[in-house]
Amino acid sequence: MLNIFKKTAIAGAMILSAGAALAEYPEKPIEVIVGYSAGGGTDVMARTAAPFIEKYLGDGASLVVKNMPGASGQIGVTEAANADPDGYTLGTFNLPGMMARTIDREAGYDRDSFTYLANVVNDPNVIVTSKASGLDTLDKLLEEAKANPLAITVGMSSLGGDDHFALIKLEQATDTEFTIVPFKGSAPARTALLGGHVAMGILNISEVAEFQDQLNVLGVATKERSQFAPDLPTFKEQGLDLVNGSMRGFIAPAGLPEDVQAKLIDAFSQLSDDQEFLDAMAATANPVEVVTGEEFKQLTSDLYDLANGVWQTTPWN
Amino acid sequence: MTESRKSRLTRPETLTAVGIILVAAGFLVPTYDLRAISALLPAAMLIGLIVLSVFLLLADQRKASAGEDAAPMTKAPKRVIGAFLMIVSYALACDFVGFYVSTAVTIPLVAWTFGYRSPVGLLIATVIVVGTIWAIFDFGMSQDFPTGRFWGR
Amino acid sequence: MYSDLLHALPDVFAWTNFAAVVIGVIAGIVVGAMPGLSATMAISVLVPFTFGLEPLVALGLMAGIYNGAMYGGAIPAVLLRIPGTPAAVATTFDGYPMAQKGEGGFALQVAVVSSSIGGIASAFALMLLAPPLSKVTLLFGPSEVFWVAVFGLASIIFLLGGNPIKGLISACFGVFVSVIGSDPIYGNDRFTFGQLEMLDGINIVILLVGLYALPPVIDLLETPLKTDGVNSSKLGTEPIWKALPRMNYWKTWLRGSLLGIWIGILPGAGGSMAAFMSYNEARRTSKNPEKWGEGEPEGVAAAEVANNADTASALIPALTLGIPGTAVAAVMLGGLLVHGLQPGPMLFRDNPDIVFGFMWQFLFGAILLVLLGGSLATNSFARLLNLPRPLLGSVIIVLMLIGVYSIHGRMFDVYLMLGFGAIGWVMDRLKFPLPPVVLGLILGGFAEENLRLALRIGRGDPMVLFQNTTSLILVALTVSVVVGPTLKKRFIDSRKKA
Repeated sequence: MLNIFKKTAIAGAMILSAGAALAEYPEKPIEVIVGYSAGGGTDVMARTAAPFIEKYLGDGASLVVKNMPGASGQIGVTEAANADPDGYTLGTFNLPGMMARTIDREAGYDRDSFTYLANVVNDPNVIVTSKASGLDTLDKLLEEAKANPLAITVGMSSLGGDDHFALIKLEQATDTEFTIVPFKGSAPARTALLGGHVAMGILNISEVAEFQDQLNVLGVATKERSQFAPDLPTFKEQGLDLVNGSMRGFIAPAGLPEDVQAKLIDAFSQLSDDQEFLDAMAATANPVEVVTGEEFKQLTSDLYDLANGVWQTTPWN
Repeated sequence: MTESRKSRLTRPETLTAVGIILVAAGFLVPTYDLRAISALLPAAMLIGLIVLSVFLLLADQRKASAGEDAAPMTKAPKRVIGAFLMIVSYALACDFVGFYVSTAVTIPLVAWTFGYRSPVGLLIATVIVVGTIWAIFDFGMSQDFPTGRFWGR
Repeated sequence: MYSDLLHALPDVFAWTNFAAVVIGVIAGIVVGAMPGLSATMAISVLVPFTFGLEPLVALGLMAGIYNGAMYGGAIPAVLLRIPGTPAAVATTFDGYPMAQKGEGGFALQVAVVSSSIGGIASAFALMLLAPPLSKVTLLFGPSEVFWVAVFGLASIIFLLGGNPIKGLISACFGVFVSVIGSDPIYGNDRFTFGQLEMLDGINIVILLVGLYALPPVIDLLETPLKTDGVNSSKLGTEPIWKALPRMNYWKTWLRGSLLGIWIGILPGAGGSMAAFMSYNEARRTSKNPEKWGEGEPEGVAAAEVANNADTASALIPALTLGIPGTAVAAVMLGGLLVHGLQPGPMLFRDNPDIVFGFMWQFLFGAILLVLLGGSLATNSFARLLNLPRPLLGSVIIVLMLIGVYSIHGRMFDVYLMLGFGAIGWVMDRLKFPLPPVVLGLILGGFAEENLRLALRIGRGDPMVLFQNTTSLILVALTVSVVVGPTLKKRFIDSRKKA
């Protein structure tokens, strides 16, 4: 009963807000739900992007970041998916994590729950080895992996994350097998690598940029060299087809009024040409790659299919 | 002189031991669905709790047979239950009605109920506490407290 | 490097930056002193707010709050037996008995001086030895960290209290609570009953506020007394310069500082473990261990020196490796990221003025502690706690709700805290010791995670746990701590017979 009432109220509010939106969006503060604590990578992205989005939306628009941490971002993204689609609640979105969570546990959303605005950060995977391992080139690593299956220990931040999918792609492409050691987060994994407790690691480029002298960075999983560390070769250059990374962007609930959606996407697409924004992101170790609207939706869908495919053959929990 | 059978079973420690055994056994059920390595530590702890509680139960019953009276949990059960109920309803009120309203009502209500009856003192304390919280958290740090689910968003 | 250190000094004395430290220390003492509010919560509320501040203002505030809160937690621990922060649990052991004997003022003075000494030692370790100490951190891989956790868990046997069965029940309960959440390796749910809010595990602050703050609140409301005549009216405060000569705890301070610094640089264990271990070690080597727990000032000194000694040192792995040594350092790391300070060896090269300035701020925070905490805060807080008991109780209830709600901004945690509160009240009344629960929660899941990581690295072979010197030293240390006292007692007994 209460539910029906609520639904009618929301429907009514939608009609009203749609009408109002035609006139002037935004006319009140826009809330951005971040699924992590203040100070995390996703939070820093949202807070760095917020003033620029305000600038491009114009009309004195204001974005307010709200942290709803917990369950690797799932609490926040669920909240964003179920918010009123009036353009006044946006959320941050992480790939492949948010899609992988719809596969490995029950989630209150799926890939159709969102209006895809823009992916802003693409942090490609890198393969690193510890100095102690002596495996300082990709060839040496693969040779050892083929000679002794499962002998190489691979530190990474978790199972079912971008690091894990990168490893699975590597294993499939080179017909090798590794022993996975999933730490809680990338910093502990990186520390174990520095201390030589694991031989190899799959991390993201932003996480190893400061440690290039202490670790062997064997390559970057991008199509072209990353702007973030232009002296690192890609795997493609080394004859290995491996492209993978961790992505962070912005979504709104599904069913956003079209003009609001257009205005938001327009604002986000201007980020990629804003040098001031690019500098601010570089300072916080966020490699920028803006992908908007339909393309972002397609990207999400592809990653879902990848994760689902992996889950069907080798479920990780 | 030994106690009656009923009072032997309602000794606080005996009740607690039985409670722990039941709850721990209940938590053991979901461990069957876990991988062995994942279930190992929790199951070990739960079994540990059950075994230790059996010892506790036996020790307490032995004391009962020896005629030792169990110390009561509280001398003022009404006040304790009242305090618990008030704290829980305060939390519920914050959740459903909103933080500031509930706090402004709860501080004087609790203090008055439990014996502090000076109206001026209550007023001053409430104003200072709610005002300081608002000034620091809301005004200073733009930290949101629950506004009450009752009123919708 | 040392020239960078001096170069950073003038910035620290810019008046805004210095004021930030002063305000931070005062705010920290207040937050720590409020039952229910913790340093973790204060800094997590502060981090988004620091976005608009100059780096050294933001970091100065955080350094001040951290230092202040680690002492502030001692105030209610001594006066009300409610540890204001998780790290102050060990302070209650002797601090509260001292307050009941009318020596509460002296207990607080011991606490503030010890805190300050620990903080200064820790700040020096951070300033002068960060790079070499971060190499020590690297020695500790999963199997070594597992043994550290076992070492900590072994010290539970000294915290069991009069009834070992009840003590062990407490410990099992604590360890069980630590496994709630997602499995450390596979990420599947354990005992969360589909609640997303529980996937990250039970936050220590939630458990602590429930177990330690709710039962005393019920006590305050239960007995129809007007004010707490026992504790607050006769604090027995004398000027701190008169109290200083009575504090001759150099050995305890030295040992506590070293222990605190060591625990700080190890990832994950944190403040409470440092305080527990320092307390145990000090008691073990004391001439009159039987007096401990009945109001021995040296016990307060041991706990307080160690819980401040891991503040700055916890930032060594955080700054150099990105792995925070304590929960508070984890939140502070977020505050650094906000200002574009990426942890790593380059940090010291790229932003020397900010990083070294931050270290100076830690040092000044620790020194300011004795000035601000010694005079102003201790007395005024003691007076606040002199409020009519029902009023004090109702105010603490509000603080508990704020403190727990603000960590993640959700009511779910508040309900969870109330659940633990009910359990805590029963445990308190039936004299189940609470410290084993806290230590079990901190170290249980931590031990499990590292054991399983180590076994994965060894591909299932348990010998991986004994393969290097660091592990073996830790095993020997654990055995000696557990077996040592028993052997010593036997030895003394046999000598007495002879």
